[in-house]
Amino acid sequence: MKKKLLSALLATVMTISLLSGCGSSEGTTEVSTESETAEAATEEKTESVGAQIEVKEESLTDVSVEGDYSDSDLTVFIFAQDHEKAVYQSLIDKFMKDTGANVTFEVTTSDEYAQKILAYKAADDMPDIFYVGPEAVASNVDDGYLLPLDDYVDAEVINNLWGSVGNAYRYDGKTAGTGEGSLYCLPKDFSTFAFAYNKDIFDEAGVAYPDPENPYTWDEFVEVCKQLTKDTDGDGEVDQWGTANALQWALDAFIYTNGGHFLNDDYTEVVIDGQQEFIDAFQFFADLTCKYGVTPTVEQDTALGGYQRWLDGQIGFYACGTWDVGAFMDKNTFPYEWGLCAWPVGKTGVSMTRNGSVGFAVSADTEYPDAAAALITLFSTDLEGQRVLSGETTGASLQIPNIMDYAKGDFKDRIADGTIPYGDNVDVIFNYIEGTDKYQGIFVETTYTYNADWWNAFLSGGYEYVLNGEMTAAEYCSQVQPAMQEALDTANEMKAAAAN
Amino acid sequence: MSRVDGKKKIKLSAMAKREERWALLFVAAPAIGFLLFMAWPIIFAFLTSLTTWNGAKGFEGMINRFCGFDNYIKLFSDAKFWKTLLTTIIYLIGIPCGMILGLLFAMGMNRKIPGVRVLRTMYYVPVISSLVAVSILWAWVYNYDYGLLNVIIKALTGMHGPNWLGDEILIKVSMIIFMVWKGLGTSIILYLAGLQNIPRTYYEAAMVDGANGWQQFKNITLPLLSPVTFYILITSLIGGFQVFVEVQVMTTNGGIGYSAATIVYYLYEKAFESFQLGYASAIAIILAVIIFIITLINFVMQDKWVKTID
Repeated sequence: MKKKLLSALLATVMTISLLSGCGSSEGTTEVSTESETAEAATEEKTESVGAQIEVKEESLTDVSVEGDYSDSDLTVFIFAQDHEKAVYQSLIDKFMKDTGANVTFEVTTSDEYAQKILAYKAADDMPDIFYVGPEAVASNVDDGYLLPLDDYVDAEVINNLWGSVGNAYRYDGKTAGTGEGSLYCLPKDFSTFAFAYNKDIFDEAGVAYPDPENPYTWDEFVEVCKQLTKDTDGDGEVDQWGTANALQWALDAFIYTNGGHFLNDDYTEVVIDGQQEFIDAFQFFADLTCKYGVTPTVEQDTALGGYQRWLDGQIGFYACGTWDVGAFMDKNTFPYEWGLCAWPVGKTGVSMTRNGSVGFAVSADTEYPDAAAALITLFSTDLEGQRVLSGETTGASLQIPNIMDYAKGDFKDRIADGTIPYGDNVDVIFNYIEGTDKYQGIFVETTYTYNADWWNAFLSGGYEYVLNGEMTAAEYCSQVQPAMQEALDTANEMKAAAAN
Repeated sequence: MSRVDGKKKIKLSAMAKREERWALLFVAAPAIGFLLFMAWPIIFAFLTSLTTWNGAKGFEGMINRFCGFDNYIKLFSDAKFWKTLLTTIIYLIGIPCGMILGLLFAMGMNRKIPGVRVLRTMYYVPVISSLVAVSILWAWVYNYDYGLLNVIIKALTGMHGPNWLGDEILIKVSMIIFMVWKGLGTSIILYLAGLQNIPRTYYEAAMVDGANGWQQFKNITLPLLSPVTFYILITSLIGGFQVFVEVQVMTTNGGIGYSAATIVYYLYEKAFESFQLGYASAIAIILAVIIFIITLINFVMQDKWVKTID
């Protein structure tokens, strides 16, 4: 009996050590934030480029901040790469000098940000200023974390933001991102996921460059891709492809241009099963791989991803985020000539892609709302800071300027005169950001739901079987929809619980 | 010795009192550590599992979202939970494989052969290496086009090897092979220590009695190694249920069709990507209970097969 008791005790102790073991492993593991998902795909390379950029401190010295915030003590918590950190640190130094405020600046990596901010929330001790992406505005407001900025930020500043990014940070208590309600963040950046082509590959194949004014139809796109797909070294295996885009970043560009969508209008139901626009687009995306063979196979893609193949000059068309430009213009990273073009268009006739952003938010619990608002205004819209981040003073562009006047004026001029190295057709980026009759950048549907679990359910259902032709898009949609719906229902329950 | 004799308390000397105070202090350190860093987190995890807490508004936010045993009820009909639990259990196949291999290698290295110390060090290197680093390394070993494994297969057969990490079954096999490789060093060292503790005289006596190699192994080595085997089994089972980093590093989204995802991976996703801390805690509690039961069974059953020299 004694021995059995001892056994039970020992088992308890070992189980307990397991639990504490669990805790420690969770603490050290990384997760990406939703808001930076697309950027995470290529961030590794951008980081290496970022590390080469030096911020000239003197370029920021003519900043002047009005106001006396000498009694303010702010904490700023964001994720940033080294060059961004240097820019924000310089702005903070200036802010402290001009206003007398005290600012504690804490920086982490984008991978660890979500966990750390969760820890702040669990401890109910939020920093005064922190990052929030458009997809997290609703949940953060529902939980009472964000200060509405309408009364603290000048209308002039708000009016000079890109329209759609301003809308993305508004929330009326029902649906975020519709442009209704209070403004909760000022953008750190506003990005878009444009399409790029390798001019050298086009020249070699004798194919005319894409015309940004006349985006390809899907059929035209396949034909061009076929001409670019070839065995260049004669070993009997294809080693150059028309395109190679990972589904998790690129499927949207096909779904939305075809009039398809994942969810119904009020984001309560997953509607992909039997929805022809969606299924056709998904099937076309898969056919690029399994029918037309103009992308690497699923197996080849697991061996070496599209991004690496693009950098190696194996790919004709590839996605290009605004944050990628610095890397793609660096000849050590990408020794090819390239230009921007439109994603091919489906039924709607409008080329579509995903926009992205991260914003500076002020904690609802801050004791110094005026000082915090003044500081994020400086972060978001300081001209000199924007010059550094958009590449005018560094030569490596990592974002489009937040200040519309500057973006459309000096920024474009500096690209034209070569001060800011950029791929051809920068207007493609502006078209997606501003929207035209042929271009439209959008925030994907995860922006409007409480979390992205329904989308993760789509990704973990085995979509690879559609790409390799073992299953049709229609079959997959039918199979995966219940799991997506369940995840969406849970998310909506969480939203309802938070709102109460 | 009892401190109480009838109703009369024995008076301790000043030195004994001082010693007792020091003893209490020494005991207090681990006891407080246990209460603070183990007992309280477990109680907290259990309390969290009874809520739909998303991490917001601290302790108060948690209490406000009490939902009883809803999370546990949901878990039982959660296909992903069962799928990841099954995958975790499948990975446990690696444990007996690793133990058998560890014993064989340990016996091999228990001889006086030249370079045996170098060999012992080599086999232990994976154990002291960073798990993330070796996971990345093995992801490259399994790479479809450029991986060492497929390069060897192509050189030997002329055919392209399989997509190790892109197939629902092969990905599990690949993970098991990797985990066996990673854990082999520990088994070898422990078995080696166990082997060296077996007195030579037992074998000499057996030889005098005419026992052959197999009989010596079966009747002396195996039984006397059983405490080591028991220890390895228990620690491996606990470690086996905790597999996470390997999946996080070597696969995208838990592998094709979530085929490589383990229960801790799922727990992590729920907690830190979906912010369903209550649900994730319920998974953690269920996992702890499963491990507790398995460990308990092992301890109770040990009478049947674990022998000691005494």
